[in-house]
Amino acid sequence: MEILRTEQLTKIFGGLTAVNRVDFVLEERKLQSIIGPNGAGKSTFFKMISGEFPPSGGKIWFRGENITGFPQHVVSHKGIATSYQITNIFPKLTTFENVRIAVQSRKTSFNFWTRADRHHDINEKTMQILETVRLAEKKDVLAANLPHGDQRHLEIGIALGTNPVLLLLDEPTAGLNPVETVETMELIKKIAQGLSIILVEHKMKVIMNISEIITVFHEGQVIAIGNPEEIQENETVRKVYLGGKKK
Amino acid sequence: MIILVLVIFPFVSPYQALATQIIIFGLLALGYNILYGYTGLLSFGHAAFFGLGAYASGIILVRTNCSIWASIGAGLAVSAIGAFLIGFLCLRRRGIYFALLTLAFAQMLYYIAYTWVSLTGGEPGLRNIPRPPFELPGLFSINIYTPTRFYFFVLAFVMAALIILKRILESPFGKVLQGIRENEKRARACGYDTNRIKWLSFILSGAFSGLAGALHTLYLNFVGIEQLYWATSGMIVMMTLLGGPGTFFGPFIGAGVFLYLEDIISGFTKYWMIFLGPIFVLCVLFFPQGIWGTIKSFTDRFSRH
Repeated sequence: MEILRTEQLTKIFGGLTAVNRVDFVLEERKLQSIIGPNGAGKSTFFKMISGEFPPSGGKIWFRGENITGFPQHVVSHKGIATSYQITNIFPKLTTFENVRIAVQSRKTSFNFWTRADRHHDINEKTMQILETVRLAEKKDVLAANLPHGDQRHLEIGIALGTNPVLLLLDEPTAGLNPVETVETMELIKKIAQGLSIILVEHKMKVIMNISEIITVFHEGQVIAIGNPEEIQENETVRKVYLGGKKK
Repeated sequence: MIILVLVIFPFVSPYQALATQIIIFGLLALGYNILYGYTGLLSFGHAAFFGLGAYASGIILVRTNCSIWASIGAGLAVSAIGAFLIGFLCLRRRGIYFALLTLAFAQMLYYIAYTWVSLTGGEPGLRNIPRPPFELPGLFSINIYTPTRFYFFVLAFVMAALIILKRILESPFGKVLQGIRENEKRARACGYDTNRIKWLSFILSGAFSGLAGALHTLYLNFVGIEQLYWATSGMIVMMTLLGGPGTFFGPFIGAGVFLYLEDIISGFTKYWMIFLGPIFVLCVLFFPQGIWGTIKSFTDRFSRH
């Protein structure tokens, strides 16, 4: 069953068309990847889906509902979460608090009176997520003091905290060394079992071994869709993205 | 512990009126801290809500024969309504523009109070405000003319406000405020309607500041026009920074230290600001977490080892 569909989705900034009439379909519980050179419009595409940028044109359908132009907090409650390319955490709160705020958003955002740390269901769910992203032992560390690799995992943890149906992962391995990259990919494989994921990545190896379907963006447009082999063989893709070299 | 200190406080402070003044301004700074310390919104016009609360309770006391409850209620209500409107408009903008808008609105109120003499008394201020007895109709009625009685009357309100504030700031809602302070974009991405939450924070902050204003009116039996002046807004910011923004009790300590120093130094010279200024600058430079924040991080480190 399809979970997300964009029709002719377009974003124009001034004179620049960042995303140009993109049709995209994601099946439920699938992991699809988007690749493309810098400035291809991948992050802008994500930001339109998540409600951060209102589209200039086109439509977004999520689980059969037209969510085009919905504000970001509403989209979040529909079940779409983003893990950001540039680490986007709550720096001066503990690792635990970072995830807890996300988990709590599904329950009691306008509770003024009970102590936050007495909500046991929220605390348990938070610990569960921290264990998944392997940060349980660092739960009391200020997020700002975590090493970069852990911050990347926390980034994913916050996204998971909102209990999403669809997870948008924008370069989850940005700035990670090869060992950390492998760890993160293992993590993504683990969480991919329960939800639908769109993954934007630059590291070809990562993309090729994790995704079933790859969409290639170039200058705001989709220039190819296919499985990893097809993409590697595709002439246009090799010209714009792989620099003509066969990998 | 805190209760004990506040109960003994009037008997160790140089005179009881100073103790009363300190807990009123402590409450004002705590109210401001909801917005600045917890939500991360630098308002430079909090005198508006202090003044609105003060004038509302003063005007109703002068013009009607109302009870002490009605006067405090009026102060709370008018400042909350003021924060509702001013917050709605100021929160359209962020950062420095937000700060300047709050300043502009506070100055507008100042000039309104300045020119509307029939209502506010204008430049000389609103005088001869009676202090009705502290009473529950049919139960008891106590006059609160002596400084000690009045101190404990104010303390009852301040303690109630402290308890309510502490609960709010430790509730899930309070945690969201901190989330917005740390990273508003991410808070929104987590599904929080941050604009509405910031607005709520603004109203809460304004209401607590208005309560401080109403108590201040009863304290002086007078409302001075300078309560709405921008220098008062600046003083609130200074008290909060001095004590430790974002810590629960810091601003209260900040208000105490500020007023205590003012009291001592102004005994020697009328240019007390010249001495208080450098102390403030040094504190901000070397103890950016404020007095309470520094003590807290020190004891935290000590208790962890």
